[in-house]
Amino acid sequence: MIEQIRHATADEAASAAGAPDDRPPHEWQPAPLAVRARQALSFQNISAIYIFVLLFVVFALWIPSTFLTWGTWRSLLSDTSITCLVAVGLVVPIAAGVVDLAIGTEVGLGAIVVAWLLADRHASIPLAIALTFVCGAAVGVIIWALITRARINAFIATLGMSSVLLAVIAWISGSQQILNLGAGFQTLATNQLFGLTYPVYILLAVAVVVWYVLEKTPAGRRVYATGGNPEAAGLAGIRTSHVILLSTITCGVISALAGLLVSSQLATGDPTIGTPYLLPAFAAVFLGSTQFRGGRPNIWGTVLAAYVLAVGVKGFQLAGAPIWIPDLFNGLALLLAVGMAQFQKTPTARTAAIRRLLRGARQPISDRGENQV
Amino acid sequence: MSAPSTGTLLSASGLSKTFPGLKALDNVGLQVSSGEIVAVVGHNGSGKSTLVKILAGVYEPDPGAQVEIRDASGQVLQGQAARSRLHFIHQDLGLVETLNAVENLGIGREHGWRSLLPARAAAERRRAEQLIARFGARFDVLAPISRLSPAERAILAIARALDGWDGPDNVLVLDEPTTAFRESEVKRLFEAIRRVAKSGAGIVFISHRLDEVLGLADRVVALRDGRIVADEPAGQLNHDQIVELIAGHAIAEVEHSAQTAGDPVLEVSGLRGGTIRDLDLSLRAGEILGVSGVLGSGREELSGLLFGAIRRDGGTVTLSRRPLSPGDMSAAIEGGMGFVPADRRRMGAVIDMNVRENLTLPFMRPLRRRFGRLDGHAERAETHRWTRTVGLRPPDPERPLRLLSGGNQQKVVLAKWLRTEPRVLLLDEPSQGVDVGAKATIYELIVGAREAGTGVLICSSETKELVSLCDRVLVLQQGRLACELPRDSLSEERLVREELGLGINNGRPSVGQANSKESEID
Repeated sequence: MIEQIRHATADEAASAAGAPDDRPPHEWQPAPLAVRARQALSFQNISAIYIFVLLFVVFALWIPSTFLTWGTWRSLLSDTSITCLVAVGLVVPIAAGVVDLAIGTEVGLGAIVVAWLLADRHASIPLAIALTFVCGAAVGVIIWALITRARINAFIATLGMSSVLLAVIAWISGSQQILNLGAGFQTLATNQLFGLTYPVYILLAVAVVVWYVLEKTPAGRRVYATGGNPEAAGLAGIRTSHVILLSTITCGVISALAGLLVSSQLATGDPTIGTPYLLPAFAAVFLGSTQFRGGRPNIWGTVLAAYVLAVGVKGFQLAGAPIWIPDLFNGLALLLAVGMAQFQKTPTARTAAIRRLLRGARQPISDRGENQV
Repeated sequence: MSAPSTGTLLSASGLSKTFPGLKALDNVGLQVSSGEIVAVVGHNGSGKSTLVKILAGVYEPDPGAQVEIRDASGQVLQGQAARSRLHFIHQDLGLVETLNAVENLGIGREHGWRSLLPARAAAERRRAEQLIARFGARFDVLAPISRLSPAERAILAIARALDGWDGPDNVLVLDEPTTAFRESEVKRLFEAIRRVAKSGAGIVFISHRLDEVLGLADRVVALRDGRIVADEPAGQLNHDQIVELIAGHAIAEVEHSAQTAGDPVLEVSGLRGGTIRDLDLSLRAGEILGVSGVLGSGREELSGLLFGAIRRDGGTVTLSRRPLSPGDMSAAIEGGMGFVPADRRRMGAVIDMNVRENLTLPFMRPLRRRFGRLDGHAERAETHRWTRTVGLRPPDPERPLRLLSGGNQQKVVLAKWLRTEPRVLLLDEPSQGVDVGAKATIYELIVGAREAGTGVLICSSETKELVSLCDRVLVLQQGRLACELPRDSLSEERLVREELGLGINNGRPSVGQANSKESEID
């Protein structure tokens, strides 16, 4: 019973204290700059940056000759850009409350469709790209219809969809790699500008646009409200069905873009290329959601997390670690990220005690809610 | 009375809790005797939840605190041993919705390795039935919890807490168990609580429903600003005195000023849907219209139907001379309608978002700038103004709603609609789960909206609220309009009788007390 009350009341820890009656309400002031700066730089807010520094130091000492070269970092930036692009696309549906497990196969579909159009149908490059986008958007519409029209739980709907898409990919490609995409198409992902490949700039452009919409516009606010509580959002006049449609289409188009970049990079349409993007993308979004915005999925947190994870993976690879290290690393990062999010949400007696201990004798600073009056 | 001893069971003294910059609890003591029901009342922020959390061991009290339990043999238990004699029932009860009563009762029990053996179904069922029968309840113990009424669930939670008590020397702490209850169910729960007390246990009951407290408790402990301001037998206090004690000043009844109502802003004819069958009503600008009725009369569905949250089956709703299509909430808001639902946490607000985001959610157009940008500066300024207007505590616009008290959450929900300057404001149980202080603010805001020319519709089970606020009240019975009471013939007693269909001349009113008003149709 005590355990329950603990759980149920942890959220309300702040309101328990409340403000004394005689204090005029408008006396409240934002916390002083020093406190805010300390909060902004706290491990809790930007843990990924601290992890990055740690990884950097470890690998710089361990394998300085390979890790500390411009070439390594240049290829890291380029190679990770597509994974990161997938993660950016995934942020949107997750913010709207749709956990899109089909994201990996959506990438795979984009990769195979563009290859098939170019190699088998001899479509022109712009037409092939446009049709691939249409295809990605169509997948988004289907997922939306399954969730809002057929009222299937998003988790199940996208899980089922991912299997269907795998079948479609195998059908289009005959489970064979599609070759001969043409040299022109390959330049899209391999050409360089200021030493970095095009996908890095594409990622940056997409991330900026999605960030602007999510954080700076009423539309983005509606996406987060829908993800937070669809019922309350609906009662505030938000057409949650439209918001979900917008988010699944955005995700479909961005993952199709990522897919066609993969095909361009490999100069091959590979039917097995999509699924491996699932886990890194989820790890980046969830780890990213613990950054900056206190538990809310967000673009820059995701981009940061994707690159930090990539640095870890790259470092282990350069150090000659076995081939299963990336999987282990990404899996642990996902678990750690979600675990940390729980830690942030419900401070239990134990974590509260630890925090008290850590604060020690020095005058306690107000930490998140509990004491902030 | 079978109470074996009447000595002090729980004795807590010197309980203090200091948060940086705030003394949440200041040298509070609490004694509970065997068989006694002690009510703890207070504002949000008065320290009552802090008190519960110290007793439960969630918070560590400041040094000098002492919590003791005297067990049946006269031995004094402290620390962990004392804590094992304290049982808590929180508002959410901690039951698993998808399991049935038998399974829920079994969850907490120690089985050891035997938990792998098949459960003995028949014996378990009989045991469960016996357990709940001790509290005067009878229901299907094999039905999933989600199908039980709130009172039945609460009784089950009590039964589970008491299962395995080896003596009367235990204390049951109920923390706001009745927030989501209808009044008839409150009675059933109280019956069960009285039985627990009779068996010799001590009860600590925490609530902000003052009528309840007076009906149940032997002793009332009132907290204000972390201190005890009264500790008196319940018989020596009345409703107004308690309000005065916990608010620290007498809260004036809402001053009702007659105001000439304007043109009709909302006209409804032949409305059907849910339990409502063929309802007509008309609401005018600057009018407060109350809707009353027992549970199941359609009162709790009306505002949702008008707003479009529940799809109506027939009838027309005309908002400022424009017909509203069914189920289109965006159009209703565009047309100047606002809706404060009864279930705040689930429907009223996005509680993981902060005050600012919730406030501007229904109406962001005036904050839109070029390229669809949301003007953060203007938004913050506007939020700051509204937190002042509604007296939000703490007035921190960036605080997630989750971390605000019920009353302050409701202020935000109300503010977000007042900000849209609605023509019609629909309120469903506007003061449910709200403390006395916030309630006064909410009433002021409602009256303020009326003065600004808004037509207000209040659906409420609290007759006192309807009588003090409304210009006229519609009484519903079984989905139809039973009668309409104008302001000058409005009284609590009259309302209660009309709700029950007793009319005005059917003998003496036997149900004056608000607590028992729904018992007769149950």
